[in-house]
Amino acid sequence: MKVAILGTGNIGTDLLIKVLRSPWLECRLFAGRNLSSPGMMKADQLGVPVSSKSIQGIAERHADFDLVFDATSAEDHRRHAKIFSELGLLAVDLTPAKIGKMCVPAVNLEECLREENVNMVSCGGQASIPIAHAIATANKDIEYVETVSSIAARSAGPATRINLDEYLCTTEQGIAAFSHCANTKAILNLNPAQPCVHMQTTVLAKIKSPDLEKTRVAVAAIVLKIQEYVPGYQLIVPPMIENNRLAVMVRVEGRGDYLPKYAGNLDIINCAAIAIAEAHAKKKAAQPTAANRIASSHEKPTHHRH
Amino acid sequence: MKSRQEQVSLDTEAVLSGRTDLLQPLAGANIFITGGTGFLGTWLLELIAMLNAKHKFNTHVTVFSRSAPDFARRHKHLGARKEFHFLEGDIRYLTELPHETDYIIHAAALTDRRLFASNPTAVGEVNGMGAIRLLRAANLLEDLKKILLVSSGLVYGAQPLNVERIGENFSSGFACDNANAIYAESKRFAESFAMAAVSEAKLPLVITRPFAFVGPYQSLELPWAVTDFIRDSLAGRPIKIMGEGKTVRSLMYASDYAFWTLAALARGEARNVFNLGSPEPVDLLALARMITQHFSPAPEILTKVGQSGHETTRLVPCVDKARKELGVELTVPLAEAIQKTIHWHRTA
Amino acid sequence: MKSPRIIVTDPTLRDGSHACSHQISVEQIRRYATAAEAAGVDYLEVGHGNGLGASSLQVGLSLVPEREMLATARACLKNTGLSVHVMPGFATANREIANAIEVGVDLFRVGSHCTEADLTQRHISYVRNAGKEAWGILMMTHMASKDVLLEESKKMQSYGAQGIVLMDSAGAAVPDDVKQKIGLLADKLEVPVGFHAHNNLGLSVANSLAALEVGARILDGTARGFGAGAGNAPLELVVAAMQRLGYECRADLYKVLDAGELAEELFAENLPVSNSITIVSGLAGVFSGFAKPVQRAAKQLDVDPRDVFVELGKRKVVGGQEDLILEVASELAARKKHNGAASHK
Repeated sequence: MKVAILGTGNIGTDLLIKVLRSPWLECRLFAGRNLSSPGMMKADQLGVPVSSKSIQGIAERHADFDLVFDATSAEDHRRHAKIFSELGLLAVDLTPAKIGKMCVPAVNLEECLREENVNMVSCGGQASIPIAHAIATANKDIEYVETVSSIAARSAGPATRINLDEYLCTTEQGIAAFSHCANTKAILNLNPAQPCVHMQTTVLAKIKSPDLEKTRVAVAAIVLKIQEYVPGYQLIVPPMIENNRLAVMVRVEGRGDYLPKYAGNLDIINCAAIAIAEAHAKKKAAQPTAANRIASSHEKPTHHRH
Repeated sequence: MKSRQEQVSLDTEAVLSGRTDLLQPLAGANIFITGGTGFLGTWLLELIAMLNAKHKFNTHVTVFSRSAPDFARRHKHLGARKEFHFLEGDIRYLTELPHETDYIIHAAALTDRRLFASNPTAVGEVNGMGAIRLLRAANLLEDLKKILLVSSGLVYGAQPLNVERIGENFSSGFACDNANAIYAESKRFAESFAMAAVSEAKLPLVITRPFAFVGPYQSLELPWAVTDFIRDSLAGRPIKIMGEGKTVRSLMYASDYAFWTLAALARGEARNVFNLGSPEPVDLLALARMITQHFSPAPEILTKVGQSGHETTRLVPCVDKARKELGVELTVPLAEAIQKTIHWHRTA
Repeated sequence: MKSPRIIVTDPTLRDGSHACSHQISVEQIRRYATAAEAAGVDYLEVGHGNGLGASSLQVGLSLVPEREMLATARACLKNTGLSVHVMPGFATANREIANAIEVGVDLFRVGSHCTEADLTQRHISYVRNAGKEAWGILMMTHMASKDVLLEESKKMQSYGAQGIVLMDSAGAAVPDDVKQKIGLLADKLEVPVGFHAHNNLGLSVANSLAALEVGARILDGTARGFGAGAGNAPLELVVAAMQRLGYECRADLYKVLDAGELAEELFAENLPVSNSITIVSGLAGVFSGFAKPVQRAAKQLDVDPRDVFVELGKRKVVGGQEDLILEVASELAARKKHNGAASHK
């Protein structure tokens, strides 16, 4: 499937490397504002078509691709979402704009394939929601779910820092939606230790009568599922009961594509975005239309979308 | 007579002798050096090559410079070393560093005084933008242990004649309404930008402010007093001094300069600035005499050849901080430095 | 020259929350707040040990809901201001801070780990825009050099913080550290500077006096040292020493002593003591609030709590990372089992 990436910062550039690695995706445009930004220069060196006209560049060349990753900002995505929709482009939103359906591939990939705009929640959400979901499937009467993420201070840039409150709210909403427990809390710690710490996420739950065995099976199963698209996702403390709380702990080591390995928090959200895009590509390949058959033979007609 | 390369080898062995412990953190490290093909860069490579050959350092270096391949061809004994990697590129367009980099020396800068006059905008662009690019790329490294920004003793502004030596906290400021200020200003900007990056991203950064140096590999085409004097003496021409020769400088020998730089990289505590240079003042007349005595007949020294408006200046660093915190010492006195340099240039 | 009046902040009902696993009751709040008002401390800090919004499975659930704790204290205070601790990452502006403003909190002490001051920008601005007093708090200050602390304090000052307090959250500092760090800040900042001690190495009073000596204008102390780990600088000792040395403050020594006696009665079961665990914790430089959860996890997993502290220190954990206790203790337990099994062969 042919895709475009909008936003050429660190996230967008790391995403680009992942798209280039994917056998299912092809990057047809890398669009941002600054042609001399490191990401833009890297894309150019890699032979990827670039545009400094941002959303306008996407609009001008929209016939070249079917899906856009938006790695700009929540404010920008609110504006972009409408344009993507009008152009008939699928949108994978990596900002906290929360316009589309919340997408956590290990949990709701199938449903998300029916949406034209999906939102990737948050980095902590991608790490913790599948665990919270597994806990919810294995237990009844969950009173409360909490998630704590610790990330390397250096992996949190100025935008993340100023939007900390939004991150907490978004993650709490995500946990609530996927664990069907209204009472949730998210906590974020930044650790400045050198060498940088890998992202760690703990999910804690208060459950009347927890079924530890069933929870272990469910968590182990979902971890395997996540590892299919996030290779650095590890279960470091399997479900245990301590001090009347159920605790599960995971660590995410990034792939070190463009961003450093310790930035597992940024890696996981990008891996999740790639997973949904690849799922679209696979679905498309499985149900070939006339236009697709031509497309898959490498010659794409310019106006296949009538 | 020893070849140029043998002379340099003896110098590097001498400066490292009994002092390799100071550089131990660099053993096994991956160092990225920008501008590694200039005077300082060449000496850094000479020292590291010696550390690897004789002291089992196994230090890997990536040299990033516009003239990297050319350099590797010209200096075969360095270019052929398999632990040195030469990367051609322009610092203004640097996007990424090798992921395994754990030490960086940012020495890339336009330092040719003639260029300050003819193409001052390029000086500002390369020195300023280079620092920005490098620091951004450094921020993406996995396990960066230290980044050394090579600044300049000129960031202090003019040294008052009654101040014997200037320390790291000195500043007299300088005017900015003048194209000549671009070099010092670009270096000062690079420092400010670096400290901003440190504040924001907590990069482990150390700054050195080098003063004046002499030694092999230094191009005699540069219009500095010491290079002018040596060049004219070698050519059998009289040495011309504009004023009375009372302008005061200090000169450090190249091997000491490179060693101090590596020591700052290995041992300098983050957020610290170190003056690098010789604390021994020498006026131009004395310097000229020191040079001419190696020639027979001794070239004539002409003073006051310039206009009366010629200014007497002074630029001598206090290097107590580097001595104390880095544990470094001056090993080559000025007279010896001059003698070695002349000898090297005389060797074909 | 007469030294300026010292502002005394009393976080007994906040830091003490750590000492009793966050089980401070409404009755305890009511009685102690009344005593603090009578003693004349400038501010009484109330709430969960990790501040607003921190009641959680991660760091422990509070017995009493936040709003009720604050409202109870509010009703007892008149001349003493009501203060709260705020850590971005736990507390959000629109929810917890807004709520606390509504209850009538006077002072918000917005804190971050000592190198992450930029996290406090939004929260400090929010408080200032609401017309309330905001201070910046740097925690775990043994983990940063004085230059870094100055830079981070200046960030907070630029966001609008009206005071800066350095917390020796791990009780790892010695008087020389305090003099260097507080001295530099007192010299370079426009706003008053303060110090918050922990007693892991038995130096809480000495460190507090060192801070005053180099120009601190704000001092934290808790009744009988009721606080995390080995406790804080005991308020009664600090106020007595200040009187001896001629530092003025609003608090009345006898009434402060009374409040101390009350605290001894109210918190009898949980008054902090110096023991081998708190000493190792201080040497390892680990957040004092970890004391109780570490002891609990060490007991459950049958490992030496001191080893847990040493390992946590190596990992350079910061306040809020209590989940790592479980990981570290589990790891040590696994290692122990492995070694045990190996030695049997």
